[in-house]
Amino acid sequence: MSKRNIRKTIFHVFSRIKEQPIELVLFLCASFSIVILFLMLLFVASEGALAFSNFGLDFIIGQVWDTNAGLYGAFPLIFSSVMVSMGALAIAIPLGLGTSIFITEVVPFSIRDIIKSIIELLASIPSVIYGFIGIIFLIPAIASVFGIYSGYTALAASLLLAIMAVPTIVGVSGETLSAVPKDYKEASLALGATKLQTLRHVILPIAKSGILASVMLGFGRAVGETVAVLMVVGNRAQIPVPPWNFLNPVYPITSVIAMQMGEASLYSEEYSALFGLGLILFIFTFIVNTIADIVVRREGKVGGRKK
Amino acid sequence: MTETTKERVVFFALGVPMVMCLIVFFWIVAILSSGAGTLNFAMLTTSALQGGLFEMIVGTIYLLLGAAGVAGPIGILAAVYLVEYAPSGKITRIIDQAINNLAGVPSIVIGLFGFAFFTTQLGFGRSLAAGWLTLSLMMLPIVIRGTEEALKLVPPSFQEASLALGTTKWRAITATTLPSAAPGIVTSVILGIARVAGETAAILFTSCVLITRGLPKSPFEPIMALAYNMFVRIVAIGDPAESVFGIALVLFLIVAVFAVIAIVIRTYYRRRQPWLR
Repeated sequence: MSKRNIRKTIFHVFSRIKEQPIELVLFLCASFSIVILFLMLLFVASEGALAFSNFGLDFIIGQVWDTNAGLYGAFPLIFSSVMVSMGALAIAIPLGLGTSIFITEVVPFSIRDIIKSIIELLASIPSVIYGFIGIIFLIPAIASVFGIYSGYTALAASLLLAIMAVPTIVGVSGETLSAVPKDYKEASLALGATKLQTLRHVILPIAKSGILASVMLGFGRAVGETVAVLMVVGNRAQIPVPPWNFLNPVYPITSVIAMQMGEASLYSEEYSALFGLGLILFIFTFIVNTIADIVVRREGKVGGRKK
Repeated sequence: MTETTKERVVFFALGVPMVMCLIVFFWIVAILSSGAGTLNFAMLTTSALQGGLFEMIVGTIYLLLGAAGVAGPIGILAAVYLVEYAPSGKITRIIDQAINNLAGVPSIVIGLFGFAFFTTQLGFGRSLAAGWLTLSLMMLPIVIRGTEEALKLVPPSFQEASLALGTTKWRAITATTLPSAAPGIVTSVILGIARVAGETAAILFTSCVLITRGLPKSPFEPIMALAYNMFVRIVAIGDPAESVFGIALVLFLIVAVFAVIAIVIRTYYRRRQPWLR
């Protein structure tokens, strides 16, 4: 059969399908994400329920996580996750926002695509490779710069996470920046404002909530990142002294799950504690993402027309 | 300071982060390519039992193609619904929100779910099939968002012309919109593949093992994968990081090839299809 004939046949098969059922099929595909989210919540919650019923509130505020002693207090782990992610944001926000503003406002159109593609490639680098680079380069560098025995620290994890969060921040905030209607910008420039004044008084106020959303999404990414963090963070379940000491090893939630799932026997106390951690993570990122989404949606209304 | 000098200073300051991002990227590439010496062509086709990478590479490709086979059709059809059919109402908004939330679920939680549901509940065991399904959940939002974008770029007049000739809506979509958006759709699937190619946390408990005897004979057998191997060797076995340089490089090349193909297709067709300009 010639290529043309094959194409014709495929076309005929497709177009014969009746309208009503096809719309239903399409709808089911679209609602698949809802079903999956629901199943996820159901399974992770039911496997983790035992941890919450056994340890009660202590599971969240308990200070000691020691599976050998049967102590499951996740507070140091939650603290580690938040600490490492906050550290990452402190680096990623200036880096990401600076980059995205520079790309949309200053860089000429012709090379904009190339730079955006490179940032996109940065997002595609697997986390296990980031972890690998961390061990090869970052760990010895941190150890020698700060004169400490081991470079496996919260700082190493924050640095890696910052690089990994940048593409998210650049992508989302860049999208909102370039969605600001052109005539607003042109009107401001026509009044004699400089590009910088236009940026400060016209573009940024409109894009404000989109930028906020991009930061929140970056935070969600950082909290949920597993492999790269685990490889450099030192994995010790403790709260550093003082708590902002980034040169201490910590043990974020994601790392605990990845490290201990292998040795936990099915339906044991440890197994359900790990799913309990998964549930905490799921709910936390769900809330962060939902707020980010609401922020973006509200902006759609306040900012008036989209392009 | 005049407004113009102020502007120059601020824009210069904003340029610094971008340059830093570019430096970080090229520097990562430089570090990885410095490991090229540990790699030779024979390793790529030698079995893992003799210290090669063959099963890991093929296993990774198996995982990716299978996951794309699941997430591709579902994602594309979902996007067609959202762009062409969905009424603007509450249900559509919930679907939209759910896709965003799915994209934000940490990969380790997807891995936990995959283990509890596919591996244990459905009884797939640690297997290729469980890996396909788990990874497809990570790919799905990327495919849907990318396809939506591609569909929205097709001018409505294409479909209207077809409808005016008396075709049904579905036929108009298959005859005009989908073919015009095809490059964009393919790009989104390939980008989805690139994004999960090095995924480790999601396949950690669901489908991989450190070593197998040859390639899997059915989808219900466990497999080897580059990312998993790298991870377990460093973290669990405690091999020095330098010993997995070759694996890291091959994994990076696979990801880069997929990502670059996607970007090239997109740029090429953006030039060729006049309505995209």
